[in-house]
Amino acid sequence: MSSRILPQFALLTPQSISEAVDMLAQYQGQVSVLAGGTDLLVWNYIRKVKPTYVLRLSALDDLDYMNYIPGEGLRIGARAKVAQLLEQPEVAGKFPALYESALTFATPQIRNMATVMGNVLRASPAGDCSCAILALGGQVVLQGPDGQRLVDIDDFWISYGVTARKNDELAVELRIPEPTSITRSAFYRLTRVHEDLAKLNVAVRFEMCQNGCRSARISMGCVGPTPLRLKQTEKLLEGVPVTDELLQQVAAAARKEIAPIADQRSTEEYRRQVSGVILTRVIERAAGTHRIAI
Amino acid sequence: MSKQTYVGKNIPKLDAREKATGQAIYAADLQLPGMLYGKIVRCWDHAHARVLKLDLAEAARVPGVIKVLGPQDVTRKTYNTGVLDLMVPGEIGQLLGDVEDQHIFTEHVRHQGDAICGIIAESEEIAELAAEKVKVLYEPLPVYLSAEESAKPDAFQFDERKPGNRAFQLPEAMFPDNSYGWGDVDVEMAKADLIVEETFYVPKVKQCQMEAHAYVAHYDQTGRLNCWTSTQMPKCVQPKLARLFELSISRVNLVSTTIGGGFGARLGMVFEPETCAMAMAVPGRPVKVQSSREEDWVASESRHPGKYKIKLGVKKDGTPVALDAHFTSNAGAYFTHASGTAFTTGSWLSGMYKIGALRYKGDTYYTNQAPSGAFRGYGNPQTNFALEQIVDQVCKKLKIDPVEWRKKWHKGEGDDGWCIGVPYSSCALDECLDRGAEAIGWKEKRAKYANQSGTKRRGIGVGVMNHTSGAMPMLLEHTTCTIKMNEDMSVVITLSCSDLGQGSHTVLKQIAADSLGISMDEIHILVNMDAAGFDIGSHASRTTYVGGGAVLKACEDVKRQLIERAAIRLEIPEGELKIKDQQVLSRKNPEKRLSVKEICHTGVYNFTDPQTGKTNGVPGQIQGYASHFPSHNSPPFGACFAEVEVDTETGEVQVLELVIAHDIGRAINPMAVEGQLEGGAHQALGMTLTEETCYDEAGLCRNNSFTDYKLFGPVDMPKITCILVEQPDPIAPLGMKSVGEAGPVNPVGATANAISHALGIMFTAAPITPEKILRAING
Repeated sequence: MSSRILPQFALLTPQSISEAVDMLAQYQGQVSVLAGGTDLLVWNYIRKVKPTYVLRLSALDDLDYMNYIPGEGLRIGARAKVAQLLEQPEVAGKFPALYESALTFATPQIRNMATVMGNVLRASPAGDCSCAILALGGQVVLQGPDGQRLVDIDDFWISYGVTARKNDELAVELRIPEPTSITRSAFYRLTRVHEDLAKLNVAVRFEMCQNGCRSARISMGCVGPTPLRLKQTEKLLEGVPVTDELLQQVAAAARKEIAPIADQRSTEEYRRQVSGVILTRVIERAAGTHRIAI
Repeated sequence: MSKQTYVGKNIPKLDAREKATGQAIYAADLQLPGMLYGKIVRCWDHAHARVLKLDLAEAARVPGVIKVLGPQDVTRKTYNTGVLDLMVPGEIGQLLGDVEDQHIFTEHVRHQGDAICGIIAESEEIAELAAEKVKVLYEPLPVYLSAEESAKPDAFQFDERKPGNRAFQLPEAMFPDNSYGWGDVDVEMAKADLIVEETFYVPKVKQCQMEAHAYVAHYDQTGRLNCWTSTQMPKCVQPKLARLFELSISRVNLVSTTIGGGFGARLGMVFEPETCAMAMAVPGRPVKVQSSREEDWVASESRHPGKYKIKLGVKKDGTPVALDAHFTSNAGAYFTHASGTAFTTGSWLSGMYKIGALRYKGDTYYTNQAPSGAFRGYGNPQTNFALEQIVDQVCKKLKIDPVEWRKKWHKGEGDDGWCIGVPYSSCALDECLDRGAEAIGWKEKRAKYANQSGTKRRGIGVGVMNHTSGAMPMLLEHTTCTIKMNEDMSVVITLSCSDLGQGSHTVLKQIAADSLGISMDEIHILVNMDAAGFDIGSHASRTTYVGGGAVLKACEDVKRQLIERAAIRLEIPEGELKIKDQQVLSRKNPEKRLSVKEICHTGVYNFTDPQTGKTNGVPGQIQGYASHFPSHNSPPFGACFAEVEVDTETGEVQVLELVIAHDIGRAINPMAVEGQLEGGAHQALGMTLTEETCYDEAGLCRNNSFTDYKLFGPVDMPKITCILVEQPDPIAPLGMKSVGEAGPVNPVGATANAISHALGIMFTAAPITPEKILRAING
């Protein structure tokens, strides 16, 4: 089903965050929140969703911010666009995985409309910014009738399309922690053509020291119902030098830890095979000079 | 008047600015007073079903709904959206078994997106609301997605006229053994030292023209049916609509709107029947119908997918002794181009190489996919994928250079052309191969990439092709052209050739301007179906070749009339006169002259002196006319070279470079020729590497949008070098040959062969995705 005409819904335009939260509480479960609209409107046109209410954030321009706070990290308001990741001077240097995810994200037009928060809230296993944020670690700030609460990104995605956000909560901010001087990160994705949704994406964050990797976070997308942390695979990396042999073990471990499916973008077999290849390449890139060739 | 000011020059497309700035008016932009909005209600949930009950009552009650039309409320006449019926004599059409099997609104859903009913309302929003209130009870029927499934003896029969669901096979009466070709293939094949045999699969790819289908129709109070459409074939759609709605042609006013890409997607009728049926139901009020991209995808035609069995036998030295081929294609839900494509696919095969004996069989089966139809190249990309790869397999096994083999065995001037019995009038393929090979560094790279190890492996491949310039003598070739000389010597050319965006109107103006010796700025092209005579339509790479021929003939008619009048005025025999620099002058005494402008002016402003009774010139406005039937089809050839890099760990292919050398005869507008080659290469790379319309088991389309169906984007495109080989064709007007459909053909074979060269593995199924490559590498 597809139409040139949007389905009928009531449009809510709260003038403040608290009014938005009130509306969410009032129409629990019947509201779609509209920020960039790059997914939500398309889904309405193809009738994948038919919300009774659409709550738009168009009046809440105080959520447009993207601030880097030294010592604390990156604060991303709910209306900040993916394109802002490319414009914010600190992102490329301090959060390369996130920068790289924005750089290849969709098209310039979509980057100018889509929000970083929308990518996280969509809870798609293919979300590029989501993949990077899971590796970098971070928190989602949710505002509900009883005030704010912080949910760790590791706990935020429950299943495909489902998050820890309650129906009466508005996601207002993303927080990405400040990297240390030894933090390295990188992101890479595979697509059918350049402008596409990922068929596989990978992000890593390491704390590197002389002997290799002190701690590691690995996230992979399109290999499960949500972006996945590969915790078993991470353990292999910790405290040992990055060698060819280790990378082979890491690739094998990753292939075991994921649960890909086939869809119109790729096959289960391919995703499993290539996950290890892409992961080792991303690790090599992130590790940089710490890589020990044998 | 023969100086070449424009022909051969890079003239920017005349409509480029208005298109780029949004000024061009498409059918979707039209707003007419009192306009209503039509919604075609389609079946989205079934690919094959019977409509048991259609309840329109609730939809009709929605405020703002004017009318709701079910199958019984519109003409029950059947039709075929294709136009073969107008292109071949009726008896040939009957022999080919062409059938009219489409209804405006159907009670038998044969594919997802089939039209069930129509809603006419005051706004598109109201029509949409009412559409949601249409209640349909379906009886699901078995779904067939391939020829193999629908050909099974116990399968549901789509059409009693087509037993076994075989929509078409080459008819025995015209083609003994249901095949064509030459020689005895079985006897010759037995003499081969090496036989290579493969079954290839070619995918269902979509034209992806930028403008989704949109129309306005208006059955006005004078009893005329007006239809605004961006069809490629206005003069074919006009009589087809006339026939469907039982009107004379003069009562159908077909208005050609700006065409946002054609590529065959607008060949024949698309949603004109539904739109006009709605307009007929509300006389006096225009009705606009627009489709979404997804709707366009599931309800309009695509390239024919199918299985292409091919067997090539050669001697040890590479001499090709026999070729046996059989293309079984998937017609989709309706007949449309079932005969045309199956027939023509083999033409490009038989037209390519000098093979001892050749046999081609082509047949087509109904399935529950969206109908297949015309797509730029019309069977040629399918043939290229199979033929060029099988040739490279032979070369590989015999250790023969693929370029050398092709140079030795390709057909050329004097050989039987793609249409058996019509010899090639010229062939510049050797020069294409030589210059292309030189430009890409064929010999060095071919050797360098022969033994590679490591993750990234490069390959280089070649593909050649032949095509046609117009479809003569297979199909009707006819274009008329009227050239009116205004009193100030400016010109209006009236014709019905469509400009699909390829720049044909720019090129036709260039031709006219040079022939008449006036500035392009002083020429207007009028495309008006009431005023213009016949043209078969923009298809078969014919508009410059045949339309250009018509323009030239009409210009000659203008010049004949100018000389005739000057001869009277100057009292000099016509044979002594010539036209130069906008003057008609005596060859013997150039002082004796008359300006073209004066002849044009006095023909219109013709006064009689009341004293003498003499006039100031020869009376009558000059109009040149041509009703042009070309005498040949001057086929072009081409050679494409592709260089790729394959990542053996991910299977990803990067196309690094294409060199496309094209046998253009003479380039009227080199920049436009390059545009055609580059745009065509874009479609070829998509078909080879990424594009395929896919269906789930229920026959529902899985990728009916640009989100899920991936075309190459700007960043994916390789560097492309175009080489225009200009050896004028001796028969063609101005020596020119076509390029429009050549573009998407041989980059297919060249790219597939380059991948095979990089990996040492041939891929028989397109698109060649990383998934298929990795599986092949890993065994």
